[in-house]
Amino acid sequence: MTEKTDVRQGTLALMVLKTLEAMGPLHGYGLARRIEQTGGDRLSVNYGTLYPALLKLEQEGFISAKWGVSDNNRRAKYYSLTRAGMKQLDNEARQWARTTAIMARFFVPSGETS
Amino acid sequence: MRAMRAFVSRLRGLADKERKDRELAEELESHLQMHIEENLRSGMTPEQARRDALLKSGGLEPAKEACRDRRGLPMLETAIRDLRHAARLLRRSPTFTAVTVLTLALGIGANTAIFTLLDQLMLRLLPVRNPEQLVMIWATGPHLGNAQRSRSSSYPLYQDFQHRTQVFSHVFCRFETALAVSIANQTERVAGELISGNYFQALGVGPAVGRVFSPEEDDRVYKGHPVVVLSHQYWVTRFGADPSVVGKKILVNNYPMVIVGVSAAGFSGLDPSRSPQIRVPIQMKPLMTPAFDDMGERRSQWIHIFARLKPGYTARLAQASLEPLFSQILRAELAEPALRNVSRYNRDRFLARKVLVELAANGYSEMRRNYSTALVVLMGMVGLVLLIACFNVASLLIARAAARRKEVAVRLAMGASRGQLARQLLVESLFLSAAGGAMGLVLSVAIIRGLLSFLPADGRLLTLRAEPDWRILAFNVGLALLTGLLFGLAPALQAVRVDLLSALKDAAGAVAGSTSSVRLRKSLVTAQVAFSFLLLAGAGLFVKTLANLKQTNPGFRDIDNLITFQIDPALSGYSLPRLRAFYRQALENIRALPGVKSAGYALVPVLSGIEWDSFMNVEGHQMKDGENMSAFMNGISPGYWQTMGVPLLEGRDFDDRDEGDHTVVAIVNRKFARHFFGDRSPIGRHIGTGRELDIEIVGLAEDSLYEGPREGVRRQVFVPFVQMDFPNPVSFYVRTSAGSEAMFAGLRRKVQELDPAMPIYQMKTLENQLDERLSTERLVATLSAAFGALATVLAAIGLYGVTALAVARRTREIGLRMALGAPRGAVLWMVLKEALDLLGIGLAVGIPCAYLLSRYVSSQLFGVAPTDSGTAAIAAAILAAVAAGAGLLPARRASSIDPIQALRHE
Repeated sequence: MTEKTDVRQGTLALMVLKTLEAMGPLHGYGLARRIEQTGGDRLSVNYGTLYPALLKLEQEGFISAKWGVSDNNRRAKYYSLTRAGMKQLDNEARQWARTTAIMARFFVPSGETS
Repeated sequence: MRAMRAFVSRLRGLADKERKDRELAEELESHLQMHIEENLRSGMTPEQARRDALLKSGGLEPAKEACRDRRGLPMLETAIRDLRHAARLLRRSPTFTAVTVLTLALGIGANTAIFTLLDQLMLRLLPVRNPEQLVMIWATGPHLGNAQRSRSSSYPLYQDFQHRTQVFSHVFCRFETALAVSIANQTERVAGELISGNYFQALGVGPAVGRVFSPEEDDRVYKGHPVVVLSHQYWVTRFGADPSVVGKKILVNNYPMVIVGVSAAGFSGLDPSRSPQIRVPIQMKPLMTPAFDDMGERRSQWIHIFARLKPGYTARLAQASLEPLFSQILRAELAEPALRNVSRYNRDRFLARKVLVELAANGYSEMRRNYSTALVVLMGMVGLVLLIACFNVASLLIARAAARRKEVAVRLAMGASRGQLARQLLVESLFLSAAGGAMGLVLSVAIIRGLLSFLPADGRLLTLRAEPDWRILAFNVGLALLTGLLFGLAPALQAVRVDLLSALKDAAGAVAGSTSSVRLRKSLVTAQVAFSFLLLAGAGLFVKTLANLKQTNPGFRDIDNLITFQIDPALSGYSLPRLRAFYRQALENIRALPGVKSAGYALVPVLSGIEWDSFMNVEGHQMKDGENMSAFMNGISPGYWQTMGVPLLEGRDFDDRDEGDHTVVAIVNRKFARHFFGDRSPIGRHIGTGRELDIEIVGLAEDSLYEGPREGVRRQVFVPFVQMDFPNPVSFYVRTSAGSEAMFAGLRRKVQELDPAMPIYQMKTLENQLDERLSTERLVATLSAAFGALATVLAAIGLYGVTALAVARRTREIGLRMALGAPRGAVLWMVLKEALDLLGIGLAVGIPCAYLLSRYVSSQLFGVAPTDSGTAAIAAAILAAVAAGAGLLPARRASSIDPIQALRHE
């Protein structure tokens, strides 16, 4: 059985934005599910992490929320990306790529760094 | 930006909390249900599905809590909760709250008021370019001529400084005088300033409209610059800020002049307490002051000289460089005909005159000189009041914290964190300080208004404003907050370090607090007593001074039914003969008015601080070196003595016989006669202002006051007004049978029947005049009495608090003593003694301090020594009575303690 890791603070926001960009409006459960799937089921997204993160993104104006009805007729709050959110995603994604690239250089086998 | 948006949204989150909570619960529930449904679809049993979903959720409640923290502003919320709690607690002890807040409010309000006035009058820099470079130039010692006002100089001296010095970038001068301005047949009296052409340039003040004067255009031709610059304030109030006034013609003292501009907004002049409404080039002097010219007269001191230092020069350096030039000028002046016959003694004194260069970054104000000592004294007093107030608050807070030891212990035992408790206590004291500060602001406005109303009525020209200064208010509130913090925090820290067990067990100890806090409170109270003594003793001195001044016999009878007013026909262009005729006619018309008993007029208004003195030669008297030969002069009309109620002791009053353009007769007062003639009659003797003894004394009058009660009776010489050859302004005096105020309109009408455009000013009773003359003394006496009373009340509260605490602390001990047979009286005395001991120590500190400080107030006193022991005794007696009263209440409570109850008392 693979060990599941909790999502790191800060990365979840980026995952939410990216997921919303890819999937369009989603409710909390859908988002959690989708993120876990994308992470190859090695991530666990519990409520205590997800909902405060959603609230923060909403407060910052990157996503907006609206009540709607789910496929199986259940009332649910749907989150979608705002224009500011798209820009933010763009920035964050670039930032992330740069960071991982730099980090990667530290972890390549020695001798190849020079 | 992002943080800002989040903050706003979180602020909004504070509102509508319940709805948000409900929505979140619903959202989480729907999430959970969806999870369960999916688990069911994947084949789990309902039981399993639910369990799995809940497990993965990580718990609903923690999620809700996390969101709640995220939603609002938790810090703010706890702060609000603490504030609410504090307000609730304070409401529960209304006396404590009211006393604390009121104490602080009075301290802060009085302080802000006094300091605001002080700042406006003394500390604020002029709104001009580089005010720190401005200096005033004046000289000490006898000028051997006549002087218009203190620190004044002659115009030729100004010219010397302007042309023969190198240390100044500008030397400029000014002269303040009342002017009559006529616009469209409306004449009004305004405050005017005659200025050198470089005045605006030197100050770096530009025009708001039009232009200001320049040395090239406005300071070249004697009598040749009929131009006017309006002050911004006058332009706004009189002309509605109409820019088209530039180029307009107006009459100034009946002379046609042109408005060329308006000076910049915010600039009112070099005297922070006054603001001239129009400015005229000094070359127009003879036309603006019809009674005298003196532009070229070295013996006439009338202008104030100012200068701007060149960069790099200090006032001291400038003064040193001016000294050789000044002594050269003095020697040259001595060689002039006017001073040829001066005695050796006066020569030496004249040559010893010193020129002074003094920084004038905040201008120069006579009023400042008159009031500054008083204001500084008041400032010291009000500072003490604030200190006492803060001490009181400190003492109250300490007592409260001590009384709450048990409550604190209970809350700690129930699991409140020490940090939370300390924060709570702190919030409480800050709350008190803030409330005190807010009330203090309101009070300060009222107090400043009250203070301004003490100033004489011609204070209309004053630029002092009644708005409390924000910096000063902030300082005072800061001080109050600091007090709250310090004395709220110390007990708070002490309280949370409480040893739970002992505090819960020992209720009596909990009331009394620790020994160190008791000692602190005692020293605070002792300091309060000492300060109160200072304030009370000071107040006693000032009240006595005022009473002495008011009780000084003015020499004038029944000054309540004596009306005075001033007119200045020369400002309306009257020639000398026309002016004399006007006065005679006005006097006749007024005497015909029903209710008027008699009337007269005088050149120098009495009891107004104005003086005219003149050197006087006396028949048969050989002047000794250093003997003051000056007599205080006045020019009066027939009927003056009868009107003023001053008896003529010998000889006759002036009448129609006394005519012509030369003074040939005089009336002297008793003090003059006694000095020069001893017991012999002065009638028929001769005196003279020059070498000739050309004036015959025809009358002897009883003594009366001249400038005011503080200056006392002067050696006086009265001459007939009509024999003076200047078109002088006069003060009329009218004795009425009753109801002075009702006569004002009638008198006005009588004068204006003669000339409807004649401005009449300063109409009041002589009683009012005396009150105005004593305005500083009244201000100081009233305020210091108020401060003293306030301080005493605060000290009483402090004393009571400490003594009451001591009784509570010693209840068991007292019970034991009484059980062992101590009489009630002994117990009463034991407690009372505690209060009296504090009083004794306080006085022991206060009395020497008062003695040391007394010399700083001596200049403000009249008829009472600064170390007056009677006043000190009264102050000490008041405090003793207050201390006894404050001690007696708890003492009686102690003596009525039931021993049985007390021994059971926990």
